[in-house]
Amino acid sequence: MSESTQISADPPKTVTETAAATEAQPGWGRALFGLGRNGGGRSRLAHDPLALSPRARAGAYAVLVAWSLIVLFPIYWMITTSFKTPLDVNSGPVYLPGVDFEGTTEAWDYIINEEPQTTRAFVNTVVVGVVSSLLTLVLGASASYGLSRLEFRPRLASVVAFLAGIAVAVATTIAGLAWQMGILLGLAFFAASIATWARRFEFRLSNDDIAFWLISQRILPPIAVVLPLYVFFQQLQLLDTRTALIVTYVGANVPIAIWLLRDFFAGIPVHLEEAAAIDGATRPQTFWFVVLPAAVPGLVATFLFIMVFAWNEFLIASVLTSADAQTMPMLVVAQNATRGPQWWNMSVLILIMSLPVILMAGFLERFIARGLLVGAVKG
Amino acid sequence: MAETDIDKTGHEPASRDVELFAHDTASKRLLLSPTVLLVIFLSVVPLLFSGYLALSRFRFVRGGFEVNFIGFDNFEKLLVGSQQRRFVGNLEQTPWWAWALIALFVAAQAVMAVQAVRRSPGHRVRTAVLRMVVLAVTAVLVYVAVRSLTGEGIPGTLVVTLVFVFLGVALQYFLGLGLALVAAQQLRGRRLFRTLYLIPMIVTPVGAAFLFRMVTDTSKGPLEPLWKLAFGDSDFTWVNEPWPARIAIVLADTWQWTPFMFVILLAAVESLPPELTEAAKVDGARAWSQFWLVTFPQLIPVSLTLVLIRSIEAFKIVDLPQVLTGGGPGTATESLSLQALLEWRAVNLGGSAALAYVLLFVTTFVALLIVNYGRRRAVARFT
Amino acid sequence: MTNTAWRKTKAWRLLAVLLAFAMLAAACGDDDDDDDSEAGSGTATTAAPSTPDDDGGDAVADDDGDEPSMSEEPDATADDEPSMSEEPDATADDTMAAMSFDGVDVEVLTFTGPQIAEPLQRYAPVFNELTGANVQVTTVPFGELYNNILTDAATGTNSFDAWVFAPQWMVDFAVPGYIEDLTDRVAADADLQWNDVAPFFRDFSATFQGSVYTIPLDGDFHMVYYRSDVLEEAGLTPPRTWDEYLEVAEAVHGRDMNGDGEADYGSCISKARGQQSYWWITSIAAPYVQSQGTSAGAFFNLDDFTPLVNNEGFIRALEVYAATGEFGPPDENNLGVGDTRGLFTTGRCALTLDWGDIGTLAADAETSTVVDLVGSLVTPGSEEVIDASGSLVPCDSSTCPHAVDGVNYAPFASFGGWSGGINANSDDITKDAAFAFLSYVSQPERSNQDVTVGATGFNPYRISQFENIDNWVTAGMSQEAAEDYLGAIGASLASPNMVLDIRVPQNQRYQQVVLDTVLAQFIAGEFDAAEAASAIYDQWEEITDEIGREGQLSAYRNTLNVTR
Repeated sequence: MSESTQISADPPKTVTETAAATEAQPGWGRALFGLGRNGGGRSRLAHDPLALSPRARAGAYAVLVAWSLIVLFPIYWMITTSFKTPLDVNSGPVYLPGVDFEGTTEAWDYIINEEPQTTRAFVNTVVVGVVSSLLTLVLGASASYGLSRLEFRPRLASVVAFLAGIAVAVATTIAGLAWQMGILLGLAFFAASIATWARRFEFRLSNDDIAFWLISQRILPPIAVVLPLYVFFQQLQLLDTRTALIVTYVGANVPIAIWLLRDFFAGIPVHLEEAAAIDGATRPQTFWFVVLPAAVPGLVATFLFIMVFAWNEFLIASVLTSADAQTMPMLVVAQNATRGPQWWNMSVLILIMSLPVILMAGFLERFIARGLLVGAVKG
Repeated sequence: MAETDIDKTGHEPASRDVELFAHDTASKRLLLSPTVLLVIFLSVVPLLFSGYLALSRFRFVRGGFEVNFIGFDNFEKLLVGSQQRRFVGNLEQTPWWAWALIALFVAAQAVMAVQAVRRSPGHRVRTAVLRMVVLAVTAVLVYVAVRSLTGEGIPGTLVVTLVFVFLGVALQYFLGLGLALVAAQQLRGRRLFRTLYLIPMIVTPVGAAFLFRMVTDTSKGPLEPLWKLAFGDSDFTWVNEPWPARIAIVLADTWQWTPFMFVILLAAVESLPPELTEAAKVDGARAWSQFWLVTFPQLIPVSLTLVLIRSIEAFKIVDLPQVLTGGGPGTATESLSLQALLEWRAVNLGGSAALAYVLLFVTTFVALLIVNYGRRRAVARFT
Repeated sequence: MTNTAWRKTKAWRLLAVLLAFAMLAAACGDDDDDDDSEAGSGTATTAAPSTPDDDGGDAVADDDGDEPSMSEEPDATADDEPSMSEEPDATADDTMAAMSFDGVDVEVLTFTGPQIAEPLQRYAPVFNELTGANVQVTTVPFGELYNNILTDAATGTNSFDAWVFAPQWMVDFAVPGYIEDLTDRVAADADLQWNDVAPFFRDFSATFQGSVYTIPLDGDFHMVYYRSDVLEEAGLTPPRTWDEYLEVAEAVHGRDMNGDGEADYGSCISKARGQQSYWWITSIAAPYVQSQGTSAGAFFNLDDFTPLVNNEGFIRALEVYAATGEFGPPDENNLGVGDTRGLFTTGRCALTLDWGDIGTLAADAETSTVVDLVGSLVTPGSEEVIDASGSLVPCDSSTCPHAVDGVNYAPFASFGGWSGGINANSDDITKDAAFAFLSYVSQPERSNQDVTVGATGFNPYRISQFENIDNWVTAGMSQEAAEDYLGAIGASLASPNMVLDIRVPQNQRYQQVVLDTVLAQFIAGEFDAAEAASAIYDQWEEITDEIGREGQLSAYRNTLNVTR
């Protein structure tokens, strides 16, 4: 069996096992596809009672290869299209460059050398994707950690009062008051409520309620919030900046991070932290040196998931940006203009923007598997 | 979504294990408040604003714009007004068996509701009210879905969205599960497959939509020879018929999102104790019943979470129909999100916000159903 | 203590992973930067605002010597460009040099090209060098442009000083006062040669309520194109009416038109949802509905603003529209105009309805297999028109005052041609600079070259552009094709019965939402023609009542220059 199976079969050993596995990892090159992985694993395979019969093995490979073809064929088509001329595309399918059509790098040349926005959009995508994902990770990790270690028991009444305060702020703003005044009024209402009627209700929320509320924010259809967000960032004079995108993506993705990380932190044995505390470590030290290292696989898997979302997002980006902060998906969509989709240019753009993430996924594959194992699997 | 996780994982940290941390107020504030504040400012506040927008009419006036409160007009238009046909659909010529189906469903739900009320002597009134609401909403959804999908009916954007969600998520789940079971075997190079299978998810959704538009094109796409072989000169293409068009969209969605199911289910399968699956290997004939009785129940909690997460995302489907068919033929593939997007593009902001709210309501309802009547029960039973 | 030690290593490992991400990200960014710098500053360098002068210089050099290898431009034109621009540019330089906009920033918004955006981005650095202004051209995807401009203006964000957009949308900007009245500026600018702009674009497209609001950069109207070789071989004459169009399409449907041994199509008119169907239907309906000249309007009754759709003419047009599908490609219902253009220029269709683009695209040997095999026509007309009661009656001198040989033609200026407008909230000096830039691009010295090049997306809109055939021949058309193409353009532009696109506030709701959706439902068989017509009628009426009938009616009258 692989070491990952052992981990979850025997939860208390998680941390040391993970550490051992990471120690034994031969290096990035071998980590990529795992073909030449540690011989120990393979020798165990030979005696494994679970080893498949040759026929079953062939069947399994057939299934895996078949799905690979389904996955790869559209990608293949995109790659060949990026080397086609408009005439090649429009006059019926051609399949193999050099065989039934002459390949040309015109589209690549155009996108990389002549389209002035490509570089800017690519840099924006990388910056927005990486920075927003890291921030999401920081927020998501601390929130999940908090939810798995600390006890939050806010009164329902206080929460209601707070939300009502926000509603007051929003309503007065809509009614025509300056938004600063609206916020003040909302705060005043909140304070007054806390001091008066909210004291009487004792019903309290639990950690699970908070987690459920946070995670449920993912339900929100983006189309419902784009206009208010536009006005919000306009007031802050942050339209068409990476900052606006980063902040929005953090807000949109933090629910996913909490979903994936919450159980991961819950699965890390508390006695490690207690030991550290007894050794005299402060709480931040414990978190930084004990908890986070044990959570690396979960963090990496989460990072990859949320980065894919931030990297690829279109709708919010199309509303909040117009030039300086435009990201790659905007360029992809822009290739479909008055003259119909420019398939060749579009293919190049999609390939350029996907390649870094695909490579990253290849390198991080082992982390993903292990990260999800302890995290999301628990449900 | 995770109410019961703590009992299940057995760590129950808050009260017992970390007594020394549990009431650390400074840490509490530091750890949770940034996230909560961010979510409030980016989700809750905008949602309140667009709630007002949904009840208003938006107009451009000299020097700016104005928003006039008009009550529920935008919703009324969708449900009974001029947009009814597009949103709800056309409920005509329903055959008798469809009526029977609706009746059967409502009756079964009612019986279950009565039983549930009987079972919970403590909170009879609360259970009864909750059950009534659930029954009413599901009955309306089922009524509209069945009538618009049978006979001469034409489904509106609401039902089309539900079709996309149910077909798509089901297909993705079963494909993902099947692949995960195969890929969990001791095979050389399986990590290569695992990485390959992630690729579709990494392609930007609009890009994937355009990619499928290329691939499914019946006159200049790669499958053109196959079309010719299958349909000859009959001029059949998937774009002209409602169901083939919907299926094309579901297939594209499946291509992109099966990896999500696959990668997490694979992790789940690999984390099962080997003893559980060993017997199946020894006695191949009983492999199926082993899977059904032993392996699958272990996977139910994670499966329901996956279905929940994927459904939430699938309700927002917009890029695929927009790019592949523009919502056509007719309105056959128009999702709620797409309808909202089209209104938004034409700066009918009130109508767009009203649609977004309907979507929010339906999604929340289905999500709560999955959590309360599926997941919670499954977790209680299987772990 | 070893325990703590490995914990620390783990922390470092985490840091290393994070660093690896950062480096990977940075590396990707760097790579791209490198590519860009190697390539020089490309044809348009909006990304580097700091050194407008250098950029300008580079871009000019690029245009002169360095032939862009990919662009759709045919070689001939790009080679011509420097030689053509030498003399006229000298005069332009003088006038421009007289204007100084040192340090004035002008933000121009349009959609991502390469069409339309390409010439703007090409001229911006040149203009900047001439005047010291700093013109930046920004682009967003086409589908986002309308609401991007409107949200920007309505919320008072004012990120942009000028927009290059569809004059069809102008009313949405003119009524709330977001857009600057350019009448005086136009009158004062001799180099713009305002009288050279074709009367329709000058007096209707660019004008609202008697004032000029936009500078045309492009002339958009529909024409029908046919394969001259295919029709000749079949012994058919080009169609004059939509009925004849159907006859021709039927007669040649199924022939092999490009020599690949496969049956090709009689007619290609894209019918996909969310594309251009609402413009095609107007082109077909116009000759049935509008017969009393441009000011009569083809969409609404000028007395009470009731839609002109619930009548025999529009219903007949719906039937024609559906009937063209019988002689089209099987997946026509999911094709957009980009697809039908590809089909037509690769020789797969005998007839198509399109903007002026087909003329230059078909003449481009790099993308076309039908060079010199294409004829151009004014969009077909009708021998019957509707009367006041909405019934079809035959054409005579009173029902069709503008008829030619008994056929009522109504060429449709759909979309209206990309035009530049200026933000009313910008500073005066910025407005002047923005105006000077738009004028610079529109002046015949430049636009008369640009309209002959397919890649610019500019179609002819000036009288001098269709009178001067030499430019077109140099651009790669044969003399005969050029005469034919320009003849059709000339005839359309000369028509007193040209149709102006729907120009009322929130026109996108009328067209993109209602008309487009109902047409799709009609084509999919959810409605028959009469049901579709009354569905459009009802939903348009609803929108009108929501927005306010009086305001809509007065805007509609103003845009048609009707005073009552």
